[in-house]
Amino acid sequence: MKTKILVANRGEIAIRIIRAIQELNYDAVAIYETPDRDSRHIRIANEAVWIGDGPRCDYLDIDKVIDAALRSGAVAIHPGYGFLAENPRFARACEDAGLIFIGPSSVTIEQLGNKVTARRIMAEAGIPMVPGTGNLSPGDAGLQEAIAFGREHGYPIMLKATSGGGGRGIRRIESEDELAEQYPIARSEAKAAFNDDSVYLEKVVVRPKHVEVQIIADRKGNTVHLGTRDCSIQRRNQKLIEIAPAFHLSPEQSEAICQTAVRAAKAANYFNAGTVEFLLDADGSFYFMEINTRLQVEHTVTEMITGIDIVRTQIKLAMGKDLLFRQEDVMPRGHAIEMRINAEDPRNDFMPEGGKTITVYRSPGGYGVRLDGFCYQGFTIPEVYDSLLVKLTVFGWSWHETVDRLRRCLTNFVITGPKTTIPFYMNLINDPDFQAGEFDTSFLDTHDHLFEYEEQVSEVTKLARLIAEIHYRGQNTYAA
Amino acid sequence: MTRITQGMAPSEVLAILRQADGYYITNTTRDMSQSDYKNRILLHTDLLAAPAREAAGYFSLEITGGASVHVDILRKQVDPFLKLELLREKMPDTMFQTLCRGVNLFGYRPYPQNVIRLTVREFAKYVDVWRTFDFMNHVPNMQAVFEEVAKAGKINEPCICFSTGPEHTNEYYIGKVREILDVTGDEIILCIKNHGGLGTPRRIGELVNAIKQAYPDLVIHYHGHNTDGNDIGRITAAIENGATIVDASDHAFTGFYGPPPILTVIQTMKDLGKTAIGIDEEAVIATSDAIRDQRPHYAQFEAQIKGFLPTVQIHKLPGGAMGSSLEQASKGGFLDRMPDILHKELPRVQVELGNWWSVTPGSQILWTTAVSNVLEGDRYGNPSGDLKNLLLGKYGPFPFYRPEDWIYEKVFGSDWEKILEEEGGIMEIEDMDIEKERRTLTERLGSEPTEQQLVLYLQHPNDAVDFFKFEEQFGRAYVLPPSIFLRQGGFQLGETLVFRDDTGQEHIVEIGPAQQTDDGETNVYLNVDHDQQLFVFEPEQQEGCATVAQLSKEEIAKLARQGDIRAPFAGNLYGISVEVGQEVNEGDQLVVLEAMKMQTPVISEVSGTVSEIHAKVGQALQPGDRILTIEIPEE
Repeated sequence: MKTKILVANRGEIAIRIIRAIQELNYDAVAIYETPDRDSRHIRIANEAVWIGDGPRCDYLDIDKVIDAALRSGAVAIHPGYGFLAENPRFARACEDAGLIFIGPSSVTIEQLGNKVTARRIMAEAGIPMVPGTGNLSPGDAGLQEAIAFGREHGYPIMLKATSGGGGRGIRRIESEDELAEQYPIARSEAKAAFNDDSVYLEKVVVRPKHVEVQIIADRKGNTVHLGTRDCSIQRRNQKLIEIAPAFHLSPEQSEAICQTAVRAAKAANYFNAGTVEFLLDADGSFYFMEINTRLQVEHTVTEMITGIDIVRTQIKLAMGKDLLFRQEDVMPRGHAIEMRINAEDPRNDFMPEGGKTITVYRSPGGYGVRLDGFCYQGFTIPEVYDSLLVKLTVFGWSWHETVDRLRRCLTNFVITGPKTTIPFYMNLINDPDFQAGEFDTSFLDTHDHLFEYEEQVSEVTKLARLIAEIHYRGQNTYAA
Repeated sequence: MTRITQGMAPSEVLAILRQADGYYITNTTRDMSQSDYKNRILLHTDLLAAPAREAAGYFSLEITGGASVHVDILRKQVDPFLKLELLREKMPDTMFQTLCRGVNLFGYRPYPQNVIRLTVREFAKYVDVWRTFDFMNHVPNMQAVFEEVAKAGKINEPCICFSTGPEHTNEYYIGKVREILDVTGDEIILCIKNHGGLGTPRRIGELVNAIKQAYPDLVIHYHGHNTDGNDIGRITAAIENGATIVDASDHAFTGFYGPPPILTVIQTMKDLGKTAIGIDEEAVIATSDAIRDQRPHYAQFEAQIKGFLPTVQIHKLPGGAMGSSLEQASKGGFLDRMPDILHKELPRVQVELGNWWSVTPGSQILWTTAVSNVLEGDRYGNPSGDLKNLLLGKYGPFPFYRPEDWIYEKVFGSDWEKILEEEGGIMEIEDMDIEKERRTLTERLGSEPTEQQLVLYLQHPNDAVDFFKFEEQFGRAYVLPPSIFLRQGGFQLGETLVFRDDTGQEHIVEIGPAQQTDDGETNVYLNVDHDQQLFVFEPEQQEGCATVAQLSKEEIAKLARQGDIRAPFAGNLYGISVEVGQEVNEGDQLVVLEAMKMQTPVISEVSGTVSEIHAKVGQALQPGDRILTIEIPEE
């Protein structure tokens, strides 16, 4: 019997991982909740285990996932991203059950998942940090510490919940008065949301770029980086478009950031694939933000420019192999852009379009085009999960070639049924600032016109709709 | 022997016409479409015919106006302006002609002066010859159009509407011509508009001759219909007595109530030694060859009764109304009453109401009144709002005599004299606040309308908005041939449809299966450019399930006296005159219903406050459907 690996995820990333597992000549075991029963990842896997009606709670249920792995005879679990991927208790449960967790150790996840601990480890290793505090003292003492910090570093500052993440539990403070007003609210909200009222402060880097470095390490401590990514184009701290490399950096800057990332990973005794995130200030200085202890959505762009299959490498490392390449073997070339095609209405504050059925799905192909998706014509998008339908990643030798290819792909990408981010992206890549590579995290806020577009229903689809109606009614009621 | 082409100055055109040794032909395809195909001939067919029609060398092509502007947006889903633009591309030399109902423009009742002028200005960008009439031959009703056409540098072709009877003498018509010339000056073409195809060839010959005697330099354009099968005879008489232009159309599509075939005119006149100037006979034949195979797709719109109707000389319905009246009779289940309506009641009503001209909107008033008189049994007992307006002289003065007092008494009640005195006289219509309408349309569309969209909206507000929304949803559907657009009974499984979109790109649609799901939805699969697409249709709402069991007339009237206003008959809600919270008094107009193109106001029989409005403008109402509620204060 073949070795089995369970994929503890859904959607496009489950398929991405299943493909790597099958390429390594292992069998892939999928899990699913009831709302995902029509999801394509079930069909692509070698077997699938139903774990409950969900929604989400069963994908998040450590016992059920471990049980599914044990029952199916899997020896390892790949967590993907989201769900249990950065939950140290899940990694530990795998370790306890004798299953291989494809990722770093539970200790590493725990240390790096706690922002305060992570900052302490990084500070000790001499990694540059945005000025910030540890957990503030309870009560009025904490407020006094906060006020002192504001006076020393100036405003704006960020007030963050220690247990928050993914853009949640963060508020921006512009003045001392606002700080006094917001501080108790932030604490009680953190208590309500995360059952932990710890908060800390960070100086705000105004209009920064978001630059991150893909790192990968084996158990012997061989740690290499796979270059940079620019993920500045975001909405409310959620990434929409990711680019590799961060091509506006000078070779010296790029080298400095990558080496810092490797040092950070080593300081945390990092194993397997991870991402070190930095804020890049307008003056060129960069600050450590966090380490994501998992596979990232945007790993595809790095794969495109390095030729290294990150997921395959992850599995091989977890199964006990050492890195087969050294830093000098990694030679990024060209440019790659990934766009997250979501079932959302950008003009309506990116409102999710779940519950709708995809009536037409026509995807582009050809040279330099990669698609990571899971939906198909006739698929009804479950309302209970995220809205990512497919990631379009394109490669090109130059930046402009890459943008040209992206435009061609978006023009030929037809998804009808739900509204999608496609027409918005079409607008975005025609923007002169984007084309010139001039963007930072404020890009969407400062480019309102990107939201002015018409939903693109092709003329022939409109006419076909009329033909269908004439057929259905037995006459053209608009001509009767 | 000069061909007249688009772009010539009106004075140049008139100079050529006055020296003509022979006659010119107008291809009245618009009238053919309206009279024999309920106005449904699609732009697709006109575009197929365009190259041959251009080569044929007509004086003009009547391709817009009449009811066609409305039907273009209502039933053909084509922008009337875009239609002219696309035809112009293929027909650079041929003058385009319209039929304009004067103050009623392309509709059924008078428009404000500023709307008339704006509309004429926009259409005059495409239309070279303006045939304008008034159903009462009341010249002031046409004046605004005359002025705007002249300003735009286009050709005015005022009409004298023609009919028969003791009052319709040569002297009367010559007097009308004088009245027109007094207003327009000499640089016009005069149209004898014989919309019913009335009179004998001899009568038409006499009339043309009499006008020519009085005004030798006046260019006469004879327009007729072939309802009795004898229009070739009238055309012949008209030309022989001095008419310079005549109307006919393509023989592949000629029917019974519209124009006769062009080729027959040419052949007949050739034998009499008269030449059709500028005409390429081969191209006339080629036009019919190009479109003949399209005709079967229009069969559903051809008249319910086939054959010529020489009884038109009795009932006098115009060609354009023949098809629609037969359709109404067929749908309303009273085809068997048609002999009574057409041959007895209609002639009687005509005489009783003044023996003026049975043409839009007068023909609709005569027809509706005659139908109501026969079906209800109570003559003039159910007068339409338009009949009332007519009797009050709102359309214009009666040309020959006023209807007798008993009709007024029947229509308006015992104090009819007071009503006539207070409300009588020509309708004074205030200018519309066009900028306000533009803002309303902007709101309804969600974007700034073009000037052309505004013009369409000012004429048919709800239908125009529906059309704009149709295009948004279904695209530019005028590209579809009648074999698709007018298909009856659905397509065959596996049938392949090929068409070009408005950019010229070719598409192929293959019909796939249609399946009903457990939820009652229907899934229709089409292969569109080789990709399967699914179209889902929700189950149809059972009509009438939300309304109460059918109420009788008495019950509706009783409810109205309690402030519960119901639709008294089937029709569309044309307008709402009140708002929620508004105080109304007995006699105030509440809403206006429209049925069979006639508007009828619903008048409050109580005083109180409007507490709720249930119906929406544009909604189709069945008798007894709720419209609004008036709360009556307790005594």
